[in-house]
Amino acid sequence: MSKELSRRELMRSLAAGGLVVAGTMTPLSSMLAAQDEQGAVLGPQPPAPPVARVPAKIVGGKVIQPQRELKILKKTGVLVVGGGPAGTAAALSARRLGVEVTIVERYGYFGGLATGGLVLAIFPIYDRNGKQVILGVGEEMMKRLDKLKFGIIERNKGRENIYPTVDAEAFKYVLVDMVLESGMTAYLDCWGVDAILDNQGAVRGAVFESKSGRQAILADIVVDASGDGDIYAAAGAAFVKVKDNIGLDSRIGNLDIEDLVVATESGNQRKMEFKSGARDKVQGGRPTRGSPVTSLEGFVGSPTPAPHVNWMNMKGPVADGLDVAELSMLEMKHRKALWANLERARNKPGAEEAFLLETAPQMGVRLTRLLGGTKVLTLQEAKSGAKFQDVIGYGGTYGMAPEFQIPYGCLVPSKLENLLAAGRCVSSEFQLADTLRLIPICWVTGQAAGVAAALCIQDKCKPREVNVGKLQNILRQQGAYLG
Amino acid sequence: MMREKRLPRLIVQVVCFASASALLWPVAPWKGAPKFVLQASPFAAICSGIALRAISAGVGIGLALAAAAIVKRRWFCRYACPTGLLLEGFASIGFQKSSWWRRCPPLGRYAALVTLAGAAIGYPVLLWMDPVSIFSSALALRSADGTIAGILAGLGLGILVLLNLTSGQIWCSRICPLGGTQDLLASAGSLWTSKSAQVATAAPVKAGFLARRSFLVGAAGIGIGFWGERVGAARGDHAPLRPPGAVDEKRFAGLCLRCGNCVRACPSKIIHADTGWAGVAGLLAPTIRYGKKYCLEDCRACTQVCPSGALREMNLEQKRRYVIGEALVDGSQCLVPLGRKDCDACVRSCPFDAVHIHWDEERYVAYPVVSTEKCNGCGACEVVCPTEGFKAIRVWKRID
Repeated sequence: MSKELSRRELMRSLAAGGLVVAGTMTPLSSMLAAQDEQGAVLGPQPPAPPVARVPAKIVGGKVIQPQRELKILKKTGVLVVGGGPAGTAAALSARRLGVEVTIVERYGYFGGLATGGLVLAIFPIYDRNGKQVILGVGEEMMKRLDKLKFGIIERNKGRENIYPTVDAEAFKYVLVDMVLESGMTAYLDCWGVDAILDNQGAVRGAVFESKSGRQAILADIVVDASGDGDIYAAAGAAFVKVKDNIGLDSRIGNLDIEDLVVATESGNQRKMEFKSGARDKVQGGRPTRGSPVTSLEGFVGSPTPAPHVNWMNMKGPVADGLDVAELSMLEMKHRKALWANLERARNKPGAEEAFLLETAPQMGVRLTRLLGGTKVLTLQEAKSGAKFQDVIGYGGTYGMAPEFQIPYGCLVPSKLENLLAAGRCVSSEFQLADTLRLIPICWVTGQAAGVAAALCIQDKCKPREVNVGKLQNILRQQGAYLG
Repeated sequence: MMREKRLPRLIVQVVCFASASALLWPVAPWKGAPKFVLQASPFAAICSGIALRAISAGVGIGLALAAAAIVKRRWFCRYACPTGLLLEGFASIGFQKSSWWRRCPPLGRYAALVTLAGAAIGYPVLLWMDPVSIFSSALALRSADGTIAGILAGLGLGILVLLNLTSGQIWCSRICPLGGTQDLLASAGSLWTSKSAQVATAAPVKAGFLARRSFLVGAAGIGIGFWGERVGAARGDHAPLRPPGAVDEKRFAGLCLRCGNCVRACPSKIIHADTGWAGVAGLLAPTIRYGKKYCLEDCRACTQVCPSGALREMNLEQKRRYVIGEALVDGSQCLVPLGRKDCDACVRSCPFDAVHIHWDEERYVAYPVVSTEKCNGCGACEVVCPTEGFKAIRVWKRID
């Protein structure tokens, strides 16, 4: 009752004062906000809920979520869950085939671990001869970064076994630019929490939790680029749960590094040398057995495109990336450790005035779920250079392993219909998943999943029925490398 | 008369030269071919046989050929020695007039005696002077991957050729220990025959003189042998890595012929001639330096071609377990603890699963750890380690 009253008062003061602020992406009826006498901003008032609120209840000591209807936020062609390297590659390449695309991202930016995780190395993208074998939409992203000052360094150095490093903010900017240009629909700060299945058990969309509450997006086909395979797991697809190291990357600023930016045809090439030796001290001589770290001096990581800024990778312990308690404790410990490291690093010449520019908003969760696909790619196949009739791209050479083909079957669940996996949660052996999870390979599986999803709509078929020849042709037309 | 005999001898020489070259190169599919060519040298066969206290089939052939030298003086030089033919050719185009070398004492016999005495204590000191292995070592030029390797490979034969150009046949007739061995065998034979024929007149005096001299030379050989084992041998942190199958470092430098067979046999091209920095006794002996490739887990080629037994022949299982060295991680270089990259190239490349990334909760840092009991020093990790400058994981001689 009092609420109604204040609302009426508000409307009156709004008309009188004329203080109008326009909102976006909210229903027109509540697009107005006004400032009251105290100076606080009062948001748009919610209309009567379209479906009745049904909170969880305690029944016999158990918490029960009663059945309830969800608001349908959107009906779309291709729904891409996750806006990381795989998700953005999938959404962009699907959109290029003219289908309607919606992308949903858990954080407030695109790029996932490549930006928010501060995993800034674009590795591995070359074959044994130094030729770049990961192209397509990922290469387009890097070409856009080339044009930006401090966007990307160390491009096209495959022969020297040197890999590009990107700037996280430049990459976020590039991805937003590409998403907006493409004309897809994007929802940020939106966490995919459930799958929507039809009576036949085929995926028809996904459920999201956001500030707007729990909502549904219906789609003709869903691409699970969540990294953790959250959607296919919810839909009941077969998967293998694994544990891997989880770290927290960071950036250190104000290092005394000499900058020498040379713009070349292929982008910015930078040579960085510490002015006064903030390089990590070289021991030389015979190392001892066991721990090679004898004293903790404070580490300063590797150069980034941004002047005086380094990024630091952290391996972290092996942990369960699906356990919230474990993740929370780990993240807190990681943050404490990063500060302790910084204080030690300040004893190094050249790092006296360094500060912790940023700890990654997202922890470096490497692997959690691996899809049980129509094809489970094995390490042996990758090492022996196995050829696949349904190849959709290549992974670059890493260590002694050569570049390898990735088949389409890695993206298709063995039984579940209407869903394709992309990114680190695709179908492979754990040992190989440790390579497939890397940023540029996520571009490859992402792009293939996006094109395949669009083909499913255009040709009215299931993912497992996609015309592989057509898929490969389109991927080639989009600039992808298929050998 | 001489002219008539020269031609058939030349034909035999050329045939021997050609077949030795072909077998050493090696053109033949027979893996052990290079080994048997070198074991045919009576000098190498006798001395390495004594040093190892073992006679293999190849050494047996060498001993048989040695016995022939008792009957036919220096027949090996005149018919079979490839170096001999080569040097004859060079001598004919050099300063033929110089003949001062004729006044040179028969150093070859002393060299043979010194080596024989050294062999008695397991260290045949001048084994590397064997002319067949000097010829063989020059063929390592074909796998030389740089100027220094090329110089080291061509060093032995180059010196002999220069010597012949300037000083005529001094090597063959005065210095060569193989020639000296044959001379000793021949004089031992004649001593025997003359004694049995009861025509020795001045022989006892000569024999006494020879015995005294032989004793002194032998003592010198043993002395040098001990020096080689104790002082000249490489040791310490920078001791060179030896190919799989290598005997103990103390004896290796002495036993090794420097023939270059192992250098040529290695498909990974990681065996190089030692520059002798870490121990001068090991000069030109084979050492492993990892470059683009490592010591393959399914290869034992170098162990199959060593004529002297410096590299023992091993089957694949033995060779895999042979410890070349151990991989050690330099924490000041490794990208993982430094937080420079998310790297595990060494872990992925190890054929023996000897490396893993360990998370050190106490120091709150990760680093690769090598299981010493699994590591044989094959160098796969060193090869793939991406650090610039020097590698964060390198194989070091194992010191226990």
